[in-house]
Amino acid sequence: MSPEMKDISLRLDAKLLQFMDQLEDLEEKREKINLLIEQGWFSMSKARYSMGHKQVSALQYASEMEPLVRIHTRKLDTGEAEFQTERRELGSDEVENIGAKEEGLRRRMNKSQNAAKENEEMTEEPKSTKTRHTQHQDPLKWFGILVPQNLKQAQTAFKQVIELSAQIAALQSSVLATRGELQVLMKEKQKMTEAAKN
Amino acid sequence: MAGRGKLIAVIGDEDTCTGFLLGGVGELNKNRKPNFLVVEKDTSITEIEETFKSFLARNDIGIILINQFVAEMIRHAIDAHLQSIPAVLEIPSKEHPYDASKDSILRRARGMFSAEDFR
Repeated sequence: MSPEMKDISLRLDAKLLQFMDQLEDLEEKREKINLLIEQGWFSMSKARYSMGHKQVSALQYASEMEPLVRIHTRKLDTGEAEFQTERRELGSDEVENIGAKEEGLRRRMNKSQNAAKENEEMTEEPKSTKTRHTQHQDPLKWFGILVPQNLKQAQTAFKQVIELSAQIAALQSSVLATRGELQVLMKEKQKMTEAAKN
Repeated sequence: MAGRGKLIAVIGDEDTCTGFLLGGVGELNKNRKPNFLVVEKDTSITEIEETFKSFLARNDIGIILINQFVAEMIRHAIDAHLQSIPAVLEIPSKEHPYDASKDSILRRARGMFSAEDFR
């Protein structure tokens, strides 16, 4: 076997192992997310049982919603994509009572980007900050002021599902990128083999 | 816009949408179309497909979560989506557990292997 052939075979083996590891990781995360989703539904069903069937349904959705979790994406040169969640923390009741400076501090801890700029804006306009906060309502409140613990557990489960979704999305793109690299290596090896025969 | 982060869209039955909206992904206001679709028994496949395609066309959606039984109805549209963003994640529903053999991504990942490749 020529040195180039050996080299490409080694690279192919390493890439294949990486592919298998990624697939295994993906499968594990899939199982975890499916389990969490089912737990979420189970908690929702228990809440529905105590609150009434129609009390936990699309009828309770707010007429205006602001997303509390966003996803930051980045495309790499390899074709893979990175996904990172960013969750806006609530605490609207507490924020309304706190003065302007502390409000700014709270906002700075929660925001990951442009923190300094926003901090200044917050301290200058405390009134507008408070208005913005009250709009970011916890979706749990759509279902009533006092909701059973089961509904809160459902919310916790789905929050974890969302975090895992970002990881799975990134893994899926890694798996497909590795598959592409494997195909390229296999074609290279095939060309070498045919050239060696000739 | 670039600093704000993208949205997570949901196409699923009522329980799926309720769960994820509880998690805080929902956006609904007068100015923009919602980032979720509640699929009911009378929801047409055309509507599902149009919603899915509209989510793909938007540049502010990072992930689309879709019940696998709904994905089956528009499988051709999902298979045609080859870009990494937005990512499409198939999730189970109460009546239809997750089946890895139907997942578009896993089918593409598995499809490359044949006995010839390992000689």
